[in-house]
Amino acid sequence: MYDFAYHRPKSLADAVATLKGKEEARPMSGGMTLIPTLKQRLAKPSDVVDLGGIAELAGIKVAGDVVTIGAMTKHYDVSVSPDVKKIIPALADLAGHIGDPAVRNRGTMGGSVANSDPAADYPAAVVALNATITTNTGKHPADGFFKGLFETALKDGELITAISFPKPEKAAYMKFPNPASRYAMVGVFVAKTKDGVRVAVTGAGSAVFRVKAMEDALSKNFTSAAIKDIKIPATDLNSDIHGSAEYRAHLVGVMARRAVDAANK
Amino acid sequence: MEIKGEYKIAAPRDKVFAALNDQAILQACIPGCETLEKLSDTEMTAKVRLRIGPVSAGFSGKVTLSDIDPPNGYKISGEGQGGVAGFAKGGAVVKLTEDAGETLLSYEVDAQVGGKIAQVGARLIQGTAKKLADQFFGKFAESVGAPPPVAAA
Repeated sequence: MYDFAYHRPKSLADAVATLKGKEEARPMSGGMTLIPTLKQRLAKPSDVVDLGGIAELAGIKVAGDVVTIGAMTKHYDVSVSPDVKKIIPALADLAGHIGDPAVRNRGTMGGSVANSDPAADYPAAVVALNATITTNTGKHPADGFFKGLFETALKDGELITAISFPKPEKAAYMKFPNPASRYAMVGVFVAKTKDGVRVAVTGAGSAVFRVKAMEDALSKNFTSAAIKDIKIPATDLNSDIHGSAEYRAHLVGVMARRAVDAANK
Repeated sequence: MEIKGEYKIAAPRDKVFAALNDQAILQACIPGCETLEKLSDTEMTAKVRLRIGPVSAGFSGKVTLSDIDPPNGYKISGEGQGGVAGFAKGGAVVKLTEDAGETLLSYEVDAQVGGKIAQVGARLIQGTAKKLADQFFGKFAESVGAPPPVAAA
C-alpha cells in the first residue's frame, strides 16, 4: 500500500468538502474493492475519504410502497431487514447471496452501485426494479445510470446517498455464481412492475443491461415458457477463463427462466 | 483474447491513413496518453495513465507501427511497463476500405497483460481492452471524420 491521507468525516457535507478539489482523492464506502486494490498497489490516491462514519447515510426507510435504502447500508442489513423481506423479498434474497459473510458485513449498497463492477449483483436489482438513485446533487433514474465497465452517470465528487426501490408485483433474482468469488458469472433479475416487465442482466456484459425481447414476451405472458426460444447474441459479452461469451449467452436464458419461475412461486 | 470492431469515417481513405500516422492525432486519441514522442517514422515512446474503476496505473512504453501498406492499413503495437502493476502489450491490425467516398475502418486487437494487474483483474481484462479500443477508435473516427461515426460495432 502506498501512503495516503485518511479522513473519516461525520457528515455528508464534510465528506463532499474533503473530496472537493482533490483530483486523486477517493471516497470509500465498504472498501471491498478499493482496499484490495490499494493493498496490491494498483492505485495511489492522495486521500481516502471513509464514508463509514456518516450515520445519515445508513438505514432502511419505507414510505408507502417504496423502500429507500441508505447508501452505506450493508448487504447483511438489507438481507435481514423485515421491511425489505416483506416488500421486495427478491432484493433481500439477492443481498444475502453477495460474496461471502465478510463482504456482506462490510460491503455497502452505495459502494456496489457506484463501482459498477460488471459482475456485481445490486446493479441488476437497481435496473430491473427501476430504482431511483439519489446523490448529494440530485437524482438519477436507473436507466442510463450504468454506462459501462466501472462507469456510471456519477460525476467526480458526486456521492450516492440513497437508493429507492418501488415495490414490484413479482420479482426474483437468479445467478450462476463463480464458485470462488461468488461474483455473478451471469445474474438475471426479473421484475413484473405496474409499467411492464423488466429484465436486467449482470455479469454477462461490460455493465448491467436489459433484454427487451424477453421483457416484451414476458409482458404478454409471464411464464418461463414465453422466453424459452429467445436467444441472446454472444457478441460483446464477457469471455474469460471462467466462461466463454457463448456460455454466458446461454446462461442468460437459463437464469432468466429460473428467475421467472421463482417469481411465480 | 481478440477484439474486433468497425467504424465508418466520413473522410477519404488517404486522409484517414495519413491521420493514422499523425503523432498529434494518435496522442489525442490514445486513452490516458500523457506524452507521445517520436523516435522515428515508425517508433514512438509513450506515457499513459489509465484509470479504470478502482485501478489507476501509469505505463511507460513504446508504440511501433509495422506492416505499413498505404492506404490500406497497418499494425499499431504498444508495449508498456507499469512498475509494480505489471505490464501490458497489445497490437491492433487496422484495415481501411473505401466506401462511397467514405472510409470503413476495421480493427482487430490482440492484447496481453501480465503481472499483478493480470492476477487480480483477470476477469476484467477483456472488457477493459475492449473499452480502451472503443475509446481510441471512436475518438479517432470523430476527430478525422465529420460528422461523428454512424455506427460503432
